[in-house]
Amino acid sequence: MGKLIRSTRGPSRLIPGLPLTLGYTLFYLSALVLIPLASMVYETTQLSWSEFWQTITDPIVLASFRLTFSASAIAALINGVFGLIIAWVLVREAFPGRRLFDAIIDFPFALPTAVAGITFSQLYMTNGWIGGLGLHIAGFINGAPGLAGTGAVLSDDALSWLNFPYSNTNTGIVIALIFVGLPFVVRTVQPVLRDWDTEHEYAALSLGANRWTILRRVVFPEIFPAWLSGLALAFARAIGEYGSVIFIAGNIPGKSQIAPLQIVAKLDDFRTSQATAIGVVLLLASFLILLAINGLEWLARRRETEPAI
Amino acid sequence: MSIEVRSVSKTFNQFKALDHVSLKVETGELVSLLGPSGCGKTTLLRVIAGMEAADDISGPILFDGRDVSTEGVGKRRIGFVFQHYALFKHMSVFENVAFGLRAKPWRQRPGEAEIRAKVGELLQLVQLQNMAQRYPSQLSGGQRQRVALARALAVEPRVLLLDEPFGALDATVRRELRRWLRKLHSKIHVTTILVTHDQEEALEVSDRVAVMNEGRIEQFASPETIYENPANPFVFKFLGSYNLFHARKTNGGDAMAASPSDSNGVTFVRPHDIEIRRENFDGYGIAAKISHIAFAGSLVNVELARIDNEAVVDAALPAHAYKDLGLKPEDKVFIRLHNTRSFDDDYSI
Amino acid sequence: MSGAPAKSLVSGASGKPAPPNRPLVRRVLIATTVAFLTLFIVIPVVNVFAQAFSKGIDAYVSVFQAPSQPKDAQLSLVERRKLTAARGQAEKTWSSIRLTIGIAAVVVPLNIVFGLAAAWSVTKFRFGGRSLLIALIDLPFSVSPVIAGLIFVLLLGRNGVFGDWATHVTWPDPFSLHWRGFAEDWWPLEFTQSYTGIIFTPFAIVLASIFVTFPFVARSLISLMETQGSDEEVAALSLGASGWRTFWKITLPNVKWALLYGVILSTARAFGEFGAVSVVSGHIDSNDTMPLRIEKLWNEYNNQAAFSVASLLALLAVVTLIVQLIVERQTGKDEMRHTEGEGIP
Repeated sequence: MGKLIRSTRGPSRLIPGLPLTLGYTLFYLSALVLIPLASMVYETTQLSWSEFWQTITDPIVLASFRLTFSASAIAALINGVFGLIIAWVLVREAFPGRRLFDAIIDFPFALPTAVAGITFSQLYMTNGWIGGLGLHIAGFINGAPGLAGTGAVLSDDALSWLNFPYSNTNTGIVIALIFVGLPFVVRTVQPVLRDWDTEHEYAALSLGANRWTILRRVVFPEIFPAWLSGLALAFARAIGEYGSVIFIAGNIPGKSQIAPLQIVAKLDDFRTSQATAIGVVLLLASFLILLAINGLEWLARRRETEPAI
Repeated sequence: MSIEVRSVSKTFNQFKALDHVSLKVETGELVSLLGPSGCGKTTLLRVIAGMEAADDISGPILFDGRDVSTEGVGKRRIGFVFQHYALFKHMSVFENVAFGLRAKPWRQRPGEAEIRAKVGELLQLVQLQNMAQRYPSQLSGGQRQRVALARALAVEPRVLLLDEPFGALDATVRRELRRWLRKLHSKIHVTTILVTHDQEEALEVSDRVAVMNEGRIEQFASPETIYENPANPFVFKFLGSYNLFHARKTNGGDAMAASPSDSNGVTFVRPHDIEIRRENFDGYGIAAKISHIAFAGSLVNVELARIDNEAVVDAALPAHAYKDLGLKPEDKVFIRLHNTRSFDDDYSI
Repeated sequence: MSGAPAKSLVSGASGKPAPPNRPLVRRVLIATTVAFLTLFIVIPVVNVFAQAFSKGIDAYVSVFQAPSQPKDAQLSLVERRKLTAARGQAEKTWSSIRLTIGIAAVVVPLNIVFGLAAAWSVTKFRFGGRSLLIALIDLPFSVSPVIAGLIFVLLLGRNGVFGDWATHVTWPDPFSLHWRGFAEDWWPLEFTQSYTGIIFTPFAIVLASIFVTFPFVARSLISLMETQGSDEEVAALSLGASGWRTFWKITLPNVKWALLYGVILSTARAFGEFGAVSVVSGHIDSNDTMPLRIEKLWNEYNNQAAFSVASLLALLAVVTLIVQLIVERQTGKDEMRHTEGEGIP
């Protein structure tokens, strides 16, 4: 069907409602997104360059940036590897419970961050299920009915290598960020894999390629753009993540405080402009990542539509 | 109701979809807009419907002499049938047809009983009376097309506009619906404009055909005139397969040149207007050799090469004539051209 | 433009069998998937409920409803204090639940209206800056929740751009609306309480919640309406229907599932938003939404109570996922119903 072009004459527009809906949309977006974000820019201009620089190069702030970016990067990489495997398995393999596992991928989107935060924190405490896994297993073995009356077979510390007490550590931060970012990777790769025509693989097989070569040379290049943008999305999300991290993190300034927490801490001290300066850095970082993702998608599209020469 | 457009133009980003088009359709007529894709026929239909605004330099669009070019699509009282039907998926056939009636301002809105009667009547007309409770997804393409027509007719439009109405259907259904549309039109007699790229369809159903090309109307005449007396090479070529001869313009008759070099005009002949004989036509025939024979149902297509200049000539003859002649490839025969049409050379080919 | 990847409503089935992997490789991959998802999703979610009920049903219930003082029981001073404290806690928890529902009740309808308006303007028309507008709608997805809160503090806080106005404006507390009767005035309803200022009041929580939730409805509507095109709307208009009628009778029924989908996601987020709300709430008890209440209980080392409140939100998340699945199946079916007839000549 023809495009709806605005015109100056005759039936002014085919479908009515543009002034009303566009006007409302612009009003709403201005009031809730543009003006508030502009206030951030305004606040930043109130800072001199040296003040801004001083704020963001303060050792404690710098440490928080370092922690945020490194933990986010590690979590994104882990998600990149496992998210790819999970997406592959969910699309390609049939196994009992596949639909259920597919459905729960979205849990990190749906579960409030505070809930995720406390449950991860609790799990990795020394008395939590995973934090004290060795302890629990030792206790279970000691309490087994066949061993009644023989006394403790294992001491509490015998299986201490099975304890993972990551609560209040920076490892804990990575764990929380893995949870938060996982669906981004899986849900961007999955549709590409699903639409992937498996005949390409048969074609490669018929040409004598082995499975590994096919994966590396045929399948992976196809899903690479989606995978990379999933990775970037997970990374961007992790940088800004607050709720699920602060419960499991140690939150010691200069050591285990993430950048968003620095913003909150500065705000609590009524140091608004410093909070803004840190916020601007985070915002710029996530915009750069988004820009990169869009560039990536643009490249991928161009590659697909490029005319054969 | 008569429809007239005067010097209507429409430009999309520098592309001239319509270039000063004028057209007058008389009351009760069924007119086809025929042309290749991109010729502007759908744009013209949408401009008449009010779905597309013409350029500022355009003249008026007159319905019964009244300029409607500033009226919106809902005000013009047109019935529009979309190429892909645009049926309301979530409504039954009945509700689809009743939609226009229910959408009237409440003063003019008929009562429920009246709506029922009217929709029933329309479904009878399009022979879908027992499909009323079905949903569009449960219908075949041809049935959907008829629902779309009934829906357009429900508001008693002053003019019916059909955009490639049979475009998405397969050949047999098309032919059937075409005949049915012709019958329907003679029954309800509402002014109708139909857009199509299928010459056979246009010639069969229309009172008059407007052949369009590159935003202009090349010829607007009855199907017979269009076919027998095409105004220019484009029309001739668009209406079917043809043979092209570069010819020196002679005073009528079987014009033909021995070689293309000294030609100052072109002559067109339809394949079925080429007569083949084993012996010469009193010296007027052209000697040719049969290079290929292909059966196409009732007709047999014979490809020949002229002996003098080896130009390829396509002929089509009825199966019985082919049998009588007993033609085989490599046979030498004589051909004669009937019903030739010659045009001046200034028409680009 | 991409923020959070919305799972596409219509899932394409690959159908064709793929060349099989070696069984061992397949088993390892499946085991990895199951183990990873169990470790990072199943166990944490199960843990929420396990911790909530770790001290039994009674303890769980008492988080929301402190036991009433038994009649004519002689309670020691300590016992009575304990009881009062428990009642205070339960009251705070209830107030957080009420506030959260109230916020969502304001935010979600606004998101619906915005989503419909935005989707209509963006999908039915082509105009300059259209893709910029779509990008802008997606923007909140890429902004840290803390920053979402921060910008409202910068705008409306004491030293903010609109600070002077925003700290003195007075607005009535909708929860204090009560029936006064006609005796005193012709108007029977009255607000008994009002707030002054915006930041550190529920008003700011509403603003921050809108910021983080409004894209959900708009985005799910835009992606569907973009693929559906405008043919049916044009047909309705050509039959003489008004714009409003076309919207209500044609557009809305066609997008109802996508609308529901967006509403669910946006409701879930409105209930669960933590970072943005935390920044603008000022840590005042009466401003606590459920996630903020969870944080306070957690910081008071009242883990079981924190998990009890969390279990309600986790339950909401489970319901969200289930409804999401149903909606996806429904739209999948619609799609099936739509293509089914294509085969009939």
